[in-house]
Amino acid sequence: MTDLVSETDGAAARLPRLRSTGSWRGTGLNAWLAPAGVIAVLALLIVPPILVLAHTSAVTEGTGAEAGHFTLEHFRSIFDNPRLYVSAWHSLQFSALSTMLSIVFGGLLAWVVVRTNAPFGPLAYITAVVSLGTPYILHVAAWTFLLGRTGPFNEAWRDLTGSSGVLLDVYSMWGMVLIQGMLWSPLVFLLMSAVFRRANAEMEEAARMCGASIAQTVWKISFKLAWPAITGMALFVFIRNLESFDVPVLIGGPAKIYVLTTDIYLAMTEMPPKMGHATAFSLILIAIVSVALVFYSRFARHADRYASVTGKGFRPRPFDLGKWRWLGGAVVIANFVFVLLLPLLATLWISLMPFARPIRLSALKLLTLENYHIVLSDPRYLELAFNTIVVAAGAATAAMVLALLAGWLVVRRWPGGRVIDQLINIPIVFPGIVVGVALLILSLRVPFPLYGTLAVIMLAFVIRFLPYGMRYAHSGVMQIHRELEEAAGVAGAGQMLILRRIVLPLLVPALLSGWLFIFLIGANELSMSVLLAGPQTQVMAVAMLDQWSSGQSVEVFALGMCWSVFMTVCALVFYALARRTLAGAGEGGL
Amino acid sequence: MTSDTRSALAVDRLTKIYAPAGTGGGGGIHPISFSLESGTFFTLLGPSGCGKTTTLRCIAGLEQPDAGRVSLGDTVFLDSSRGISVPLNRRNIGMVFQSYAIWPHMSVFENVAFPLRVARGETYGKADVTRLVGEALETVELGGFGDRSPTQLSGGQQQRVALARAIVRHPRLLLLDEPLSNLDAKLRDEMRAELKRLQQRIGVTTLYVTHDQAEALEMSDLIAVINKGRLVQLGTPRDIYFNPADAFVAGFMGSPNLLQGTSEGVAAEGAIGRVKLLDGRAIACRFPKPIAGGKPVIVSVRPEFVTLAPEGTSTPDSANALAGTVSSSGFLGEMTRYRVQSGDIAIEANASSSQSIENGTAIVMIFPADKAIGLSAGDE
Repeated sequence: MTDLVSETDGAAARLPRLRSTGSWRGTGLNAWLAPAGVIAVLALLIVPPILVLAHTSAVTEGTGAEAGHFTLEHFRSIFDNPRLYVSAWHSLQFSALSTMLSIVFGGLLAWVVVRTNAPFGPLAYITAVVSLGTPYILHVAAWTFLLGRTGPFNEAWRDLTGSSGVLLDVYSMWGMVLIQGMLWSPLVFLLMSAVFRRANAEMEEAARMCGASIAQTVWKISFKLAWPAITGMALFVFIRNLESFDVPVLIGGPAKIYVLTTDIYLAMTEMPPKMGHATAFSLILIAIVSVALVFYSRFARHADRYASVTGKGFRPRPFDLGKWRWLGGAVVIANFVFVLLLPLLATLWISLMPFARPIRLSALKLLTLENYHIVLSDPRYLELAFNTIVVAAGAATAAMVLALLAGWLVVRRWPGGRVIDQLINIPIVFPGIVVGVALLILSLRVPFPLYGTLAVIMLAFVIRFLPYGMRYAHSGVMQIHRELEEAAGVAGAGQMLILRRIVLPLLVPALLSGWLFIFLIGANELSMSVLLAGPQTQVMAVAMLDQWSSGQSVEVFALGMCWSVFMTVCALVFYALARRTLAGAGEGGL
Repeated sequence: MTSDTRSALAVDRLTKIYAPAGTGGGGGIHPISFSLESGTFFTLLGPSGCGKTTTLRCIAGLEQPDAGRVSLGDTVFLDSSRGISVPLNRRNIGMVFQSYAIWPHMSVFENVAFPLRVARGETYGKADVTRLVGEALETVELGGFGDRSPTQLSGGQQQRVALARAIVRHPRLLLLDEPLSNLDAKLRDEMRAELKRLQQRIGVTTLYVTHDQAEALEMSDLIAVINKGRLVQLGTPRDIYFNPADAFVAGFMGSPNLLQGTSEGVAAEGAIGRVKLLDGRAIACRFPKPIAGGKPVIVSVRPEFVTLAPEGTSTPDSANALAGTVSSSGFLGEMTRYRVQSGDIAIEANASSSQSIENGTAIVMIFPADKAIGLSAGDE
């Protein structure tokens, strides 16, 4: 039956070692081809913007002989100017306060909807998804109307008190915080509800069996268990607020409250643009965001350990709030009113008026569909929508194709996988406005026509959104059991065939979710496109900003309504697709 | 049987060492060699992390070993001395994975047809594919399941799909990586017998990896026990069970009593010798390997060979007798397992359930000298 038994390794003559000890996916040059290609493309996308920022920030400006010399003057002037510290303080204040607002409100809402038997739960999801589909600028415009001098809140205040002042001046730090917090609470709600849905009800039941009251259980178990996830998310939202541009420019601008991102924007829009100043400032902002992200990633690792504590076959059994149910329902209703209904009604009201007017019965006779008529018949608007969709869809497609390849190479530990992983995640530290600055300068310097094209906006989107796409692709590949690919290999398939026949089909839901997410944020994006959009290549958010800040037209509200309807449909599709993925990957989408 | 399935597997000094992890010499496999006649059902048996799966994956081509030679018949898969390493997708091996690895986005038919569609060097016509897939599905008794989605199948059925996919191209070698570990106990017993029948019918040389000694004993023609990356014993199931090479093999095959002691005098291979236990008493046992005097020894005695007799029963010369007191008992249905305290040592003995012995009863344990196996304790 057998002719040879074992040998001990001491006696056995040693065979020479194989030179390459790669994986089964291939050895030598073959195994390097695909990763090298992806690395080359990624490097081509990510390295030039960094170089152009570094270079521009460190040389003298101008056109004469004195131009192009090494200098630290840009950095020195920034640090010497007290304005930096004022802006930094404003940034900090704005980010911290609006983070707190959205976390408290969004988190509370998520807990009420997911973990209690409060009524109207589905309304919270509808609110979140619809507001996700609305451009920020439209929210901001609606809120500045609502909270403005002639808005219903201040009018009611004047009527009640007889004073001629205002209850709240929207053009202030408080206005900024309030609106930013409102803008972010739907996302916090969606992410936190995923966290709460994952939480194991048995942990709470075990506490109740040990004799804890409902309040004790909520505080000592539910809240403490969710705490790492909450603080992790707070840090994350804080960073995104630090990078945010829409509210700072739309409200901070008129209020003369400048933050770091608006300082960069103003330096670039001066005549002539102070590029050295803007790029040096951009590097400082990147440094700040990087430091914050290092903290975040440490925290996120820690947070994961808690969040993964889920039992088998758990069912989230909601808490019975008893007579407090109506209070939970009120929270849901309040969220709906403030986050969706009021801005929507305000937008609708103005879009039906010939010019911006306070909400009055007497104004009802002025109602007109003229604005909608203009928006829907003017080919300029159609072109605008077309441009935006092309840019967003193109960027989403390119980013997801790259992310698919990168995610697969990284998760399956191809040679060079670590390099790819690090490279593709670099743009996480680029605030949108910084990518805008870098690509604008780059487009002026390259020898082919790039400046003012849709292509440059698309390029900026791809760079900025690559890490998001990567998260979807990465967690998608992680969910494909390794043996599914190994079985195909044993069956005789080569690597490209495995990618096409096994990985790609199984990854379709994750890729589609990622695509739609990038499409959604791309279509409503402002901070990059505001610098890059040319006169012939306008996109939706920039056009709305121009119209709105010129203050002459109420067409923008009709335009916003139409656009929001379209985007809401996209958002609903996204939500339906991403529900599973989002619950699995935590904040994978962001 | 095609001539292909007659070819034999030869593995020569296959080596793969991982970087030392924590204690000991790290994971991986130290040079392992064996060769099989075709049609053999061969099992790699060992605890988890012992290197059995690594060995299997090296043969499959899923892992790249540091050194060694693997050949199947005339085909060399791997030869580090000549720098040969055939990519896994050109080895034509059938493999069933632990998770079955059934592709959920393909029908049962497409899953089984996949190896035919991607085969290199051979192209199968539409009619061939239909016929071969049909045959494979019939073989695993899943005829008529082709159009189903694998996600609608039970665990046992998915297992059969994986098996059909592994044999559809009539491979010369079938690799099974703990294929039964995800099934529930009853199904596992059924599948054991069925897998063995199927293997005998198609006559393919089979390499089976498991940590379950009962599976290995029931199914295999030949078992290799692996521990810490080394092949410690290779033999038939009976051989391994009754003549374990060392204390590890003895302990891994069931749960024998292991008594520590020292050898008294020299014993030749297979001879009966005497061992002094730690408390000074001496027993006779058989030494499967020659041993010198005064060496540390572990004596393995299986509970089924220990007879419990009333105090004062006379014993034949060829048997050992140890006096003791029953300290506890466990009723297992067809038998009762007693725990007997004898001096400092506790010994387990199986007895028929027809009689029952009270705790505290003084008894004599009798076991034949040739059923007590003396194993050198200095091996590891």
